[in-house]
Amino acid sequence: MSSTVFRKHLTDNRRGFLGWALAITAVAAMYSSMWPVLGRNSSLSSAINSFPTAMRDAFHLQDYGTAAGYFGSTVFGLLVPILLAVFAVAAGTKSIAGDEEAGTLDLVLAHPVRRVRLAAARWLAVLAAIVLVGVVLLLVELAIRVPAEFTTISTANLAAMTFQLVLFGCCFASIAFGIGAYTGRRLYAVVGGAYATVASYLCDSFLPQINGLHWVQAISPFSWYLGGDPLRNGIQWTHCALLAGLSLCCAAVGIRGFDRRDVAQGG
Amino acid sequence: MTDIAVETAGLAKRYGNARTGKTALVGLDLTVERGEVFGFLGPNGAGKTTTIRLLLDLIRPTSGTVRVLGADPRDNAQLRGRIGYLAGDFRIDGRQTGREALTYLGDLRGGVPAARTAELAERLDLDLTRRISTLSKGNRQKVGVVQAFMHAPELLILDEPTSGLDPFLQQRFVELVQEASANGQTVFLSSHVMSEVQQTCRRVGVIRDGELVTVADVEQLRQSAHRKVEIAFAERVGAEVFEALPGLQNTVVTDTPDGASVLRAILTGSPDALLKAAARFEVTSLLAEEPELEEIFFTFYEHGSTGNGSKEFAA
Ligand SMILES: Nc1ncnc2c1ncn2[C@@H]1O[C@H](COP(=O)(O)OP(=O)(O)OP(=O)(O)O)[C@@H](O)[C@H]1O
Ligand SMILES: [Mg+2]
Repeated sequence: MSSTVFRKHLTDNRRGFLGWALAITAVAAMYSSMWPVLGRNSSLSSAINSFPTAMRDAFHLQDYGTAAGYFGSTVFGLLVPILLAVFAVAAGTKSIAGDEEAGTLDLVLAHPVRRVRLAAARWLAVLAAIVLVGVVLLLVELAIRVPAEFTTISTANLAAMTFQLVLFGCCFASIAFGIGAYTGRRLYAVVGGAYATVASYLCDSFLPQINGLHWVQAISPFSWYLGGDPLRNGIQWTHCALLAGLSLCCAAVGIRGFDRRDVAQGG
Repeated sequence: MTDIAVETAGLAKRYGNARTGKTALVGLDLTVERGEVFGFLGPNGAGKTTTIRLLLDLIRPTSGTVRVLGADPRDNAQLRGRIGYLAGDFRIDGRQTGREALTYLGDLRGGVPAARTAELAERLDLDLTRRISTLSKGNRQKVGVVQAFMHAPELLILDEPTSGLDPFLQQRFVELVQEASANGQTVFLSSHVMSEVQQTCRRVGVIRDGELVTVADVEQLRQSAHRKVEIAFAERVGAEVFEALPGLQNTVVTDTPDGASVLRAILTGSPDALLKAAARFEVTSLLAEEPELEEIFFTFYEHGSTGNGSKEFAA
């Protein structure tokens, strides 16, 4: 039963999921292919090096001149994770709250499938979609690694970064999914997911520059994702565990709430 | 196995929080026997859909108990496998074809033979190869009818099933219900279409403002209903003779210019006394209208009326 729900959720949303995977990958590939131009541009590097340290820290611009530094601040630093978070929040929201507000959840729940299983299957389907994004992105990055001259980043480290990116996406998908499943309200899930994304970015970039607020970095999923520099040092297991743990908690609380509440008829 | 299909006791449902909430059901006691077709009637907002969604565990009772096919519906997926449900406002993802949708729903039920869905679709004249978003409202409703009936469930719970269907298809639907009933399936049917209720239901329950107003046998209701009678006499007759009769109200005798007279009245219950009284005169014509179930129920639907039909005599 659960696998039926899982498969159905993926096939129903295949166009959207594939579209997002390709769009995010295209953005990543575009930034990556600019590395030979921007990275070798010594005047740009020195210009960036003259920025105040706090600002360079905030934007992860510590060493723009190395491939790992460039990728960490551009490809994996901002646009790709933010796009992935947007996708994750949208997909997480849609899986329960969106379906419920559209009034189409009623029908499925009147069938012999337990609510917990239905919600869990859909959550896993959303996670699978995010894994799909990661796989497509990784394959393309590996394919252009030699032509775009970033062979200094090892295949393993590229894979580690993508793996953490996927976990990062799963985390925001789970936050939106959890809020949506718990409340049944699309708006709450979208707004909650968006706030979490922005807050987590700020906690990793600007807020730690303020005296006495350095600690907020430690609770930011953004810093769990990027901190420790996976492009140089490979997988950061503690960070991975934190991202996975937060995802699980959000999903579990959401599913539990969903199991106990009234399902709305949709309007 | 019990012989009760649906049983609620003191079932209450309050939506929302204590301050802004709205009480939709106040202590509903309802029993539907296995194998019967039970009509669930009531004005808009009476609580029919609320009751039905409680039976399916889509919403949870504020208080009271529900038993469906002898089991508690709470978190009971196995029980839902024995039920076919059609929502009052049937909605389904439009990005799929009818066949894809029905295959999925069938798979959730552990598989339904494709021949069975095809047969139902054909009877309802539904094209399963079209994307649901391109179907008209009535055709979309047919998908709902098929998914409710396709696995031949022990209990069918249908909330205004024929909304959007044309008269021809309403008739097809009535046949489906009659077949299901002949099969021993129980049908719980909420409806505003009296002809459909009249043709299918053995008993009806009327709910108003979240309370069960009455449960009645359709046949008995018809017998006990008020019907207009009109008797023409060849001679002049006095109204006093008829005014004294029990079960006869609003008695009016009109004299016609040619020396004859016509009695018009509203008859409740047996016509025996009236016929015997009339037999003393020469009767030239007799007309007794068949009571419409619709009219009978108007009396229950009226707000504030006690359901004894007194309103009907006001005119
Ligand atoms: N989710 C909800 N939140 C608040 N009130 C609700 C909700 N759903 C229904 N109600 C209220 O509960 C009452 C009963 O509604 P219900 O939908 O059960 O009526 P119904 O008998 O099915 O009416 P209809 O014939 O129009 O379908 C109505 O007053 C309605 O406004
Ligand atoms: Mg209703």
